Amino acid sequence: MPPTLTTTSGMTRRMFLRAATLTGAGLALGACATPGGGTATLTFHQSKPEVIGYFGELLAAYQQEHPGLRVRHDSTSNLSAGFVRSSPPDVGCLNYNFEVARFVERGVLSDLSDLPEADRVNPALHPLVELTASFAGRTSVLPYSLMAAAVLYNREIFDAHGLTPPTTWTEMVEVCETLAAAGVTPVYGTYRDTWTIGQGLFDYCVGGMVDVDAFFRQLRRQGADVGPDSPVSFQKDFREPVERMLALARYSNPDAASRGYGDGNLAFARGEAAMYLQGPWALTEIAKTDPDLPIGAFPLPVTDDPGDRKVRVNIDLALWIPEASPRQEEARALVQHLMRPDVIDAYNEFANGFGTTTDAPDVAHPTLRDLQAYYDDAAFYLGASQLVPQAIPIHNYAQALVTGSDPDDVLRTLDADWARLAFRS
Amino acid sequence: MSLAPVTVVPADRRDAPTTGTPRRPDRRSRANVPLTVVLALCTLTVLVPLYVTVSMAFKTTSQSVDGNAFSLPSPPSGSGVVEAWLLTSFPRGFAVSVLVTVLTVVGTIVLSSLAAYAISRNWDRRFFRWSFFYLLGAMFLPFPVLALSQVKLTGMVGLDNPFGVAVLHVMFQLSFSTLLYTAFLRSLPEELEESARLDGATTWQVFTRLVFPLLAPMSATVGIFAFLASWNDFMMPSLITSAPELQTLPVLQSIFQTQFSNNYNVAFASYLMSMAPAIVVYLFTQRWVMAGVTQGAIK
Repeated sequence: MPPTLTTTSGMTRRMFLRAATLTGAGLALGACATPGGGTATLTFHQSKPEVIGYFGELLAAYQQEHPGLRVRHDSTSNLSAGFVRSSPPDVGCLNYNFEVARFVERGVLSDLSDLPEADRVNPALHPLVELTASFAGRTSVLPYSLMAAAVLYNREIFDAHGLTPPTTWTEMVEVCETLAAAGVTPVYGTYRDTWTIGQGLFDYCVGGMVDVDAFFRQLRRQGADVGPDSPVSFQKDFREPVERMLALARYSNPDAASRGYGDGNLAFARGEAAMYLQGPWALTEIAKTDPDLPIGAFPLPVTDDPGDRKVRVNIDLALWIPEASPRQEEARALVQHLMRPDVIDAYNEFANGFGTTTDAPDVAHPTLRDLQAYYDDAAFYLGASQLVPQAIPIHNYAQALVTGSDPDDVLRTLDADWARLAFRS
Repeated sequence: MSLAPVTVVPADRRDAPTTGTPRRPDRRSRANVPLTVVLALCTLTVLVPLYVTVSMAFKTTSQSVDGNAFSLPSPPSGSGVVEAWLLTSFPRGFAVSVLVTVLTVVGTIVLSSLAAYAISRNWDRRFFRWSFFYLLGAMFLPFPVLALSQVKLTGMVGLDNPFGVAVLHVMFQLSFSTLLYTAFLRSLPEELEESARLDGATTWQVFTRLVFPLLAPMSATVGIFAFLASWNDFMMPSLITSAPELQTLPVLQSIFQTQFSNNYNVAFASYLMSMAPAIVVYLFTQRWVMAGVTQGAIK
């Protein structure tokens, strides 16, 4: 080794410098590689996995109609990072939940109220949008697709035992008793996945009995003053629904505590239970095992007044345009295109969603047709579990309830959590 | 990395049973059977998930949700692989992941070996000692703490792309790698370098011709650590890279994880495709990893 050492001294240093230059050039090139230049590029953020392919085709067709425009379909980027970097997507089409609510409340989404499409949105949905998040004087989002969740039931099992969907709580208990006496599991519980209890048993029982909208509006007005003496509180208003929830939970499969969402879909598809408290998203999962299973749906009756029956809804997709987007014109044109009746209706038919516009046709899926009447009458509510900020582990509390915790304790904790959070913020 | 304590019998003693007293092989086999059983059980923790991944990847959608993870695919289906391939634009994602990883591995090895050499040979000077502590200090700064400022800074200087991710990966690997190299360099006899200098070598030549080749086992270890950290990283590319078409595989795969749908066959097909390179690299380089680790541990 030593004899060759002296010969290449200049060479190696030059090589090192060259390598350093190349690295630098690479970095500079990388910096230039960021989009921009000739054709206008529009970023469309949509990350609902089931419909990524659908929107991909939709955007490809739109691109062909608009030469000189490139629409980039983004389903993986981090939204917060995009806003921090001042390069958010130009159009967003996302689930309207607390993540998007943050952006709405900080006023970084532009006002869409002057678009003619904004007037076509079903006015019954405005309270839902506002309850989740709002920014004074702005229409920050346009609802695009609505999901309605209720009790799914196996029509074959109901027919075999001569049962019809119950309309009152007493009838509901009777149905469960009949099924249990016949050796059929009335309700399939999947308590291992906490969210299934939160959106199912908990939300249905609360929504069927309490005016969720009024409750949360009053709760927010009260601020940190939440307790047994305040006008509304969880321990007062949710006490009765929680009792009904626990009464219904007794009709679940004995191994519910160890079953997850996937197990529930499988068991229900195989006819191992008569009822399943899930939304339309479970229908596609059930169809993977048995595409021909006749499934019906009915809103859970929690009181003895049939007029109290309501379905649980959530805004599955909503369109928005960030103020920071440099291509407002193109972004608005794309939003208008997506809101065109043929485009939005075709999407909702594909995705088992309810139309959000006044001119939308009835839902197409045979199971969901059972719920159309409730949607038309605006007999719906937002899930209570969705209106509690994520800092409060509401789904875990719901799980504690069905696995045997004292309801009063849990609801008192919930009040205390809410008060603490309101005090902090 | 599972470095189980395997008892190695030195070669000269392997013949002992034939020549030694009859009691000795008994004692040894008694000592080894439980250990072998334990190790065999330990391998299951790796082999079982691997088996599930492979079999799941080739199931049909309806079979993948039937609640029986251990069943063999029947009928075997390539639809999961095809869908995963299309949904993640696999070739592009793979290329970006490889680019980021290669830049990270090369950058980490080059920079930290240079830094370690400078530090260990100038240990008596305060500047170098303190710069070592400064580099080590970075070990106590996890990325999530710096995420917000990093996102802003990379966005401002146009590094919100895979190059920026690679630069940050190198930076976060630097402290641990320099620590490994510095410890290893201390065990190299300085006389070797002195002899090279007597033959007229410059510092640069001593490093490239003598020290760096001697560092090879440790470079392998550092390289493997850098490879794993970079290839498997989710958070940094997801926050730093702004263009969705330049995203790495782990981030592209995040679309398979949702609470409402279970597409196990597609997800596992995708996991299998991205796992394969890591396994292959490990298979070919584990000899050097082991060598590097033991060389660092036993002087």
